[in-house]
Order: sequence, then structure tokens, then C-alpha cells
Amino acid sequence: MNVSERKTNGRNSNALLWIVLAGLAIIGGGFLISLLTPYLFPAQGSTQAQQVDNLFRFMLVIGGAIFLLVQGVLAFSVIRFRAKPGDVSDGAAIHGNTTLEFVWTAIPAVIVLVITIYAYQVWQTTRAVQPNEQVVGTVGARFAWSFSTNVTPDQFPAGVELSQLDPAVQADIEEDGYITITSPQLHTYVGQPVQLQMVTQDVLHSFWVPAMRVKQDLLPGRTTDIRFTPVEAGMYRIVCAELCGSGHGNMAGTLVTTDDNPVYQGAWLNVHADEAAFRREFLEPETLAVLFPPEDPAARGRQLLASGAYPCNTCHVLSDLGWTGNLGPSLDGVGTRTQRLSQTGQPDMEAYIRNSIRRPTDFLVPGFGPLMPQFNPEPDQPNYMPEDHLNAIVAYLLTQTE
Amino acid sequence: MATIIAPPIGAQAQAPRRLHISEYLRWSVDHKVIGVQYAVTSLFFFIVGGILAMLIRAELLTPQLDLVQNGQQYNTLFTMHGTVMIFLFIIPMWGAFGNYFVPLMLGAKDMAFPWLNALAFWMIPPAGILLLLGWLIGAPEAGWTSYPPLSSLFSGDGQTMWIMSLHLLGISSILGAINFIVTIKNMRPIGMGYFQMPLFVWAVLAQAITIVMATPFLAGALTLLLLDRIAGTAFFNPAGGGDVLLWQNIFWFYSHPAVYIMILPGFGVLSEVLSVHSRKPIFGYRAIALSSLAIALVGFTVWAHHMFVSLTPELRIPFMITSMIIAVPTGIKVFSWLGTLWGGKLHFTPAMLFALGFLSMFVIGGISGVMLAAVPFDVQVHDTYFVVSHLHFVLFGGSVFAVYAGIYHWFPKVTGRMLNDRLGQVHFVLTYLGFFFTFFPQHLLGMLGMPRRVSVYAPEFQGLNVVVSVAAFLLGISVLVLFYNILRSLREGRAAGPNPWRALTMEWTTTSPPPPHNFHGDPVPFDDPYGYGTEASAAYIDAIERRFGPSAPLSTERRNMPAAQGGD
Ligand code: HEC
Ligand SMILES: [Cu+2]
Ligand SMILES: [Cu+2]
Repeated sequence: MNVSERKTNGRNSNALLWIVLAGLAIIGGGFLISLLTPYLFPAQGSTQAQQVDNLFRFMLVIGGAIFLLVQGVLAFSVIRFRAKPGDVSDGAAIHGNTTLEFVWTAIPAVIVLVITIYAYQVWQTTRAVQPNEQVVGTVGARFAWSFSTNVTPDQFPAGVELSQLDPAVQADIEEDGYITITSPQLHTYVGQPVQLQMVTQDVLHSFWVPAMRVKQDLLPGRTTDIRFTPVEAGMYRIVCAELCGSGHGNMAGTLVTTDDNPVYQGAWLNVHADEAAFRREFLEPETLAVLFPPEDPAARGRQLLASGAYPCNTCHVLSDLGWTGNLGPSLDGVGTRTQRLSQTGQPDMEAYIRNSIRRPTDFLVPGFGPLMPQFNPEPDQPNYMPEDHLNAIVAYLLTQTE
Repeated sequence: MATIIAPPIGAQAQAPRRLHISEYLRWSVDHKVIGVQYAVTSLFFFIVGGILAMLIRAELLTPQLDLVQNGQQYNTLFTMHGTVMIFLFIIPMWGAFGNYFVPLMLGAKDMAFPWLNALAFWMIPPAGILLLLGWLIGAPEAGWTSYPPLSSLFSGDGQTMWIMSLHLLGISSILGAINFIVTIKNMRPIGMGYFQMPLFVWAVLAQAITIVMATPFLAGALTLLLLDRIAGTAFFNPAGGGDVLLWQNIFWFYSHPAVYIMILPGFGVLSEVLSVHSRKPIFGYRAIALSSLAIALVGFTVWAHHMFVSLTPELRIPFMITSMIIAVPTGIKVFSWLGTLWGGKLHFTPAMLFALGFLSMFVIGGISGVMLAAVPFDVQVHDTYFVVSHLHFVLFGGSVFAVYAGIYHWFPKVTGRMLNDRLGQVHFVLTYLGFFFTFFPQHLLGMLGMPRRVSVYAPEFQGLNVVVSVAAFLLGISVLVLFYNILRSLREGRAAGPNPWRALTMEWTTTSPPPPHNFHGDPVPFDDPYGYGTEASAAYIDAIERRFGPSAPLSTERRNMPAAQGGD
């Protein structure tokens, strides 16, 4: 009696030892797996990235441990419990074990509870409103991004007198209190929190910068926003993550983060007179271009298209501006492409190009589908293109003869 | 303690009845014929969807367009692939297993509503044709999720066909589910309470309840989308007062439960196969049975985790909580299955290999699922290859592995012939390796920055994409091995006998294939469908053998080894 009791006790404590050892090995394995985290993500570009990666690393420790546990038990069972050849007997008639079942219900419940709380905290901090944000308007249109910043008169370059300006520009400023400068790139600064306010011209898009670990859909009928604070200077890819049609894979953009002048960190909205370099870099040239549009319509058209205010570049090739889009016909030489003019029902090339933009489906270039968005004359319509912009763009395209 | 008392009928039960193809091409109300009709139709669409997958992977070998001419053609490829695999392969494939085996497992002569059963099946072929014909009139390009406004204002006329096709499939699915619920409620034999039912029947019950509750929402969403497309309404168009998120909410209110529609019967198959081929009772029967119901019900509260980058940010938190909770019952199942293996006598039949493969792959899908439920991480990988990977770990590593396990387990019952073991092992190894290397690297692609649904991608992702594509081709080849095995065994497979696995559930208490009315006389269920390891169960199996002739192939060995008789 005594002997057998001692024997069972010995076996029990042995089993306990094995369980503890296996448990430690599994948790240690989970830690080792989690060391891979930095190699699984692109370099961290924002404070958000640091927090998301930490959350992931935490989940990878747990996930890795569970992975090892399950595969380990499977492998052990496959080896240890395989039926010997010719053995047709049955295994032990065990139907369950309430304690065990309670344990493997309770432990996962606690684990997901902890993950939920941690994830909630990360979610709150990554989205928190920061003081002094750089607010950038973001427009998604099939299949390009454009970014715009509002500049109020007190931010205008020194020496600009409102009265010098073109009456149309003056009227604009009077109405809104600011002018809008547009760029196909998103400019940000290290340490400067950014808030994007995003709208779409057509279907759903999703703004994603993998290096920043932020993503948000652009929804027709709504303005959505997203926040991040860059921590590393560099050029980052902006990706469209929501299926938006034929050019979805091409709908990429560039995010530039600079830190070359620490004086201007955090200074986006409070530009002072002595921060000349900052203004020289980006704000002034862009602002001046809007304030003093070139007299020559063709030059103005070129400037408009180069600014990225319209999403033409993803669909068209245009060597003069370095466009490489492949969804529509090349615009190189479009100004003298007269061979099809008779079929289009338009009197001359100017009328044809104008109509190609205002009503693209009236005549489809052979070999292409009705993919080009219609650019409309009224501000409340999608893909708004004011008449004077259209005139300038048409004038510019007519100069593209080869 | 149950035994079979009826006298043996003789050797006639041994010779497998020849299957006449013509029987399967016409209207029949026999649930077994309908089951086979479902199976063959689904396997056909499995091939269609598989070919589309191969085309997708061929295109993605390089970062530029080469196989397709433009993004639109590519969009159509994955739209069709997803739609076909979900609505024309996996869901009808579970219809096949359910139809054939639920009545047999209940000892019933047929389903409760045989005519309705046939009707539900015959909606599927026209729906499939309708969907594929879309290619001729302007293919749909909005993905299987078909978010407006892309699906309402842009996608071609094939999108309208897509809607009609899904409508038909939805009705078919609802009719089938009602039939299962009524059958399971009313046609259990005397002595079989709910908690004596085989777990596959439990799983089908949970699935059928989910279908009946969820699929009407799909019908509603589809109807609104149809009206937006053809009648000028603006349910999903903000310009006319509509809302694009409305679609996402209703669609996912159906489509998240649809994930469980696709996986629950697979859980059922797994419980059968693991228990039978480990010769051990299922561990924690009640926990497995009830967790199916828990999953089905909690599954209705998690839909918006598919909208973690479109939903109002504050609203994402409650859906994170529910999505985390649902991991618990799923974990219970996995641990119970591991408990079933522990201390068993594992026979590595192809069915068992696929069941073990399911366990080892599905757990990865479960882990990535919990990660995806954590909003801040989901935001990074939403709409990327990480999600593509996750969903295939659940639906291929889960559902398809379970379908394979089910095929190897029950093919002998349906045809009276055994599938070839050696080919089954080759099939398993190719599938396991091909599957892992196709889908595991996709986690990485997604985290590093490759979105899903793109035909062109950044050049730095090419290396991983080549690995994925090559592995995918291997996976494609693995399917050919299965089909070769099936066709070969239909002609020259070894005769199966009534109960080749010496299992205790009732489908094995009759000849293979079963006679038109399923049983010779009134079958008596064994009181525990998983009661292996007892004298009584051995006696029950012996009684089946005495009545219908020897089981093959295991019990032939058994006969030669009297020492092993009677359990231990
Ligand atoms: C979504 C892709 C897309 C965008 C964005 C796009 N286009 Fe197009 N464009 C096309 C396609 C496709 C065609 C050919 C079919 C047609 O004629 O509509 C085309 C045709 C044209 C043509 C006629 C070319 C010819 O050879 O006759 C002109 C001019 C043109 N686009 C200018 C523009 C301008 C200017 C913009 C930006 C304001 C623009 N497109 C934006 C896709 C696009
Ligand atoms: Cu987009
Ligand atoms: Cu897109």
C-alpha cells in the first residue's frame, strides 16, 4: 500500500515537472519567435509604428507559444500514440476531464482579455489628437492621390500685396480666407504631427502608408481622418489598399518626411518671419505659383497638371511631365493626333481634347474602355475642374505635338 | 446497451452496386443521389475556381502585367475565384456531405422534405452558369465582397448577373438549411437524444441555424444593390441620400457568419474522423457540441471587424471585444481534438492525415485571427496579403482539409470502394507542403506593405511572390492526384465492406453503398457514437460484421488476431 502510493506520487511529481518544463520551453519559444518582429515590418516611420509593433510583438509571444504548444502536442501524439502495425485494439475510453476543460477555457479567455485591453490602449494613444497638427486635405480619385494645404494671407511670402493679385485669385481669398496649394506628394516633417482629412471623388479608396502603420478608407459622402507623427526622415510609399477598379495596383503616391532643419520642427502652422529656409523650400514657391498664375495659358496648364491637382498621371503617359500611367492612351503628341478627328464629331483638336475631358465617353479611343473619369464644371460635382483650369490644360495639351 | 438482433441478410451486401451515371443527371428525390449531385457539382466548380487561382498566381510571378492585359481583367479573375470557391464549392460541398450523411447518421430513410431537397440542389447549376456567363457581357470586377460604388456605378453588366446568381444560391442554401433543421429535430431514431447525435450532425445543425438566420440579410443587400444598378435607386449612393457603409454592414452581417457556414461542418467532420481513426472517444463531447452553437451565435456579433478601416473609430472597440471572445470556443474545440488524440491508437489513413493537417494549419489561422481582431494591428494589415493568408488558413487549411478528410473517410460508404491509400498519402504531402508555402509567406507580404487585389506590385515583393506562386502550382497539382485517385478507385478500387473503419455511427450499419431506403430493416443506434474502447462497442461492431459480412480492411486483420478482440 505504502509502496504503491509512493510510486504514484513519484509519477505525479515527475509529470508535473515535465509539464512545467514543457511550459517554460513553449513560452521561451514564443519569446524567441517574437524576436523576428523587426524583420516582419517595414522600418518604423512614426510613433504609431512603434506602438503597433510592440503590440504585435506581444501577440507574437503568445501566438508563438500557442503555435508551439499545439504543433508540439500533435507531433508528440503522432509519434507516441501511433498504432503499431496490426494493432486493432482501441484506445482508452476517456470521455473528458472537467478540470482540464475548465483550464483550457479559462486561460484563453484571460489571454484575449489581456490582448484586448492592451490593444485598446494602443488604439487610444495612436489616435489621440496632438497639439499643433499639420492639417492636410487629401483627395483620392481613380487612380491618384493629391494633397492640399490651406495657406492664409498672413502666411504669404513677404512682400505679397493682395492688391497685386489677379482679381480671380483675390476673389478666392476673400471668399474662403485662404488659398489652397496642391501637390501629388505629401510633405511632412519629423516630429510634426499630421492630420489628414480625406475625401474621395468616386469610389472607395484606402490611404495606407505601410511604414507609418496607418490606414483609413476614403468614403464617398464622408470626410474621414487619420493621424500620425513621423519620426524618421525618408521617402515612403503611399498605397491604395481598397479595391477601386482597374488601376488599383497603380494607385501609389509618395510621402516625403524631412528633418533637415530642426528649427522648423513643429512649425508648420506658425511660420515666423525668420524661418526663411522653410518657406523657401516648399511653401513659398507653391504659394506663389497659385498667387501668380502664369499669364500664358499653356504654362499655367502645365503647372496645374504638374501640381497633381488632377489624377491624370496614373492613366496617361506624358513624357514632358514624367507620367508613366498605362491605363489610357499616351498623351505624347496628342495635340496633333488628327487622324481620328473625323470620327469624333468634333470640328478641331481643341474642341476634341476639351470634350475628351468634359465628356470622355462621347468618343472612346479605339482599344480603350470607358475608364476615364468625367471632369465636371460645377464645384458640387465629383471631379470638379473649373472652366479656367480646363482652358489652361487644353492649351497645354495642344502644345504636345511629339 | 444496444445490439443488432435482426438476422444476417447474406453476402449480397458485399458486392458494391454499380453506379449509373444517368441516375445522377436527372431529378431525383433520394438524398443519396442528391448528395452525390451536390458533390460532383461542387468539385466541378472547385476545378473552375482552382484554374482561376492558378491564373492569378501566374500573373503575380512578376511585378508587371503580363498574363492579363489590364487591371480590370485581373479584378475579374479574383472576383470569380472568390465567388466560385465560396458559393459554388465550399457551401454546396457541405450540402453534399450533409445530404448524404445526416439521414444515414440518424438512421432515417431520407431527409424530411425530399422534394424540397432536390429543388435546392437544382438551383445551383443555373446559378453557376449565370455567374460564369457574366464574362461575356462585361465581367464583374468588384471582388466577392462587391463594395459599392464600384459594384453599383462602375462594374460591368456581369455584376448584375453576379447578383442574380448569388440570389439563387442564397435561396438554395436557405431551403437546404430548413430541411436539415427539420430533419435533425424530427427524424432522430428512438433512443437518440440531441446529446447522442454524432458531432457532424451537431455541426450541420449549428450551420443550418446560421444559414437560416444570416442568408436573408444577403438577399436583402443584394436586392438593394440590384435596384441601385438597374432601377436608379441610391441606397448606397451618397449623392442620392444613400450610404456606402450600409452595404458593408449588411453584407458582413451575412458574410461573417458565412465563414462559420463554411467551417462548422468541417469541425463536424474533424470530430468524426479524429475519434474513429484514433480509436478513442471524442474528448469533451458536450463542449464540442455546444461550442458549435456558441460560435454560431457569437458569430453574429462580430461582423464589423471587416470594417476596421471604414467604421467610425470609436465603434471599432466593441467589435474587437466580440471578435476576441469568439476565439475561446474555437480554442476549446482545438484542445478537445488534441485531447482525443492523446492516448489513442492513431491509424494514419489519408482521412486521418488530413484531419491532423487541419489541426496543424487551422491553428495558424486561429492565431492570425486573434491578431486581426486587435484593431491597431488590423489597421496595418487590413486589405493586405495578411488577410488573404488568414482567410485561406481558415478556409483552405480548415474547410478544404476537412472536405478532403471527409472524402477519404466516406468515399467507401458512398461508392462501396476504397480510395487508394498510397495516392492519398501523396495527395496529403503535396497538399500540406503546397498549402503551407503558398499561404504562409503571404503573412509577410501583407505586413511589409503589399495590398491585396493588385496585379502590379512593388518590385521588392517579387521574391516572396515567386515562392508563393510555385507553391501554389504544387497545390494545383495535388488536386489532380485526388481526382485521379477518385476516378481510378471508382473503377478498380478495393471493395469496402460495410464498415471499413469499424466506426460506431449509424451510416456504417448498412451496406456500402446503402440500398435505396438506406437500411435493411430498422437500425438500432449504439448509445454512444464515440464509445470506443469498451466491450459493448466491440460487440456492436461485430454484430454489424455478422450481419453484412466482414468490414474491410482493418477487421480482416482483426479476424486473424483473436487476441485483440473485445477491446482491452
Ligand atoms: C482612370 C484613368 C484616367 C484618368 C485619371 C484620366 N484619363 Fe484620360 N483617358 C483615359 C482613357 C482610358 C482614355 C481613352 C478612352 C477615352 O477616350 O475615353 C483617355 C483619353 C484621354 C484623352 C484622349 C486621348 C486621345 O488619344 O484621343 C485625353 C486628351 C485625356 N484622356 C486627357 C486626360 C486628362 C487631361 C486627365 C486628367 C485631368 C485624364 N485624361 C485623366 C483614362 C484616364
Ligand atoms: Cu484607390
Ligand atoms: Cu485602390
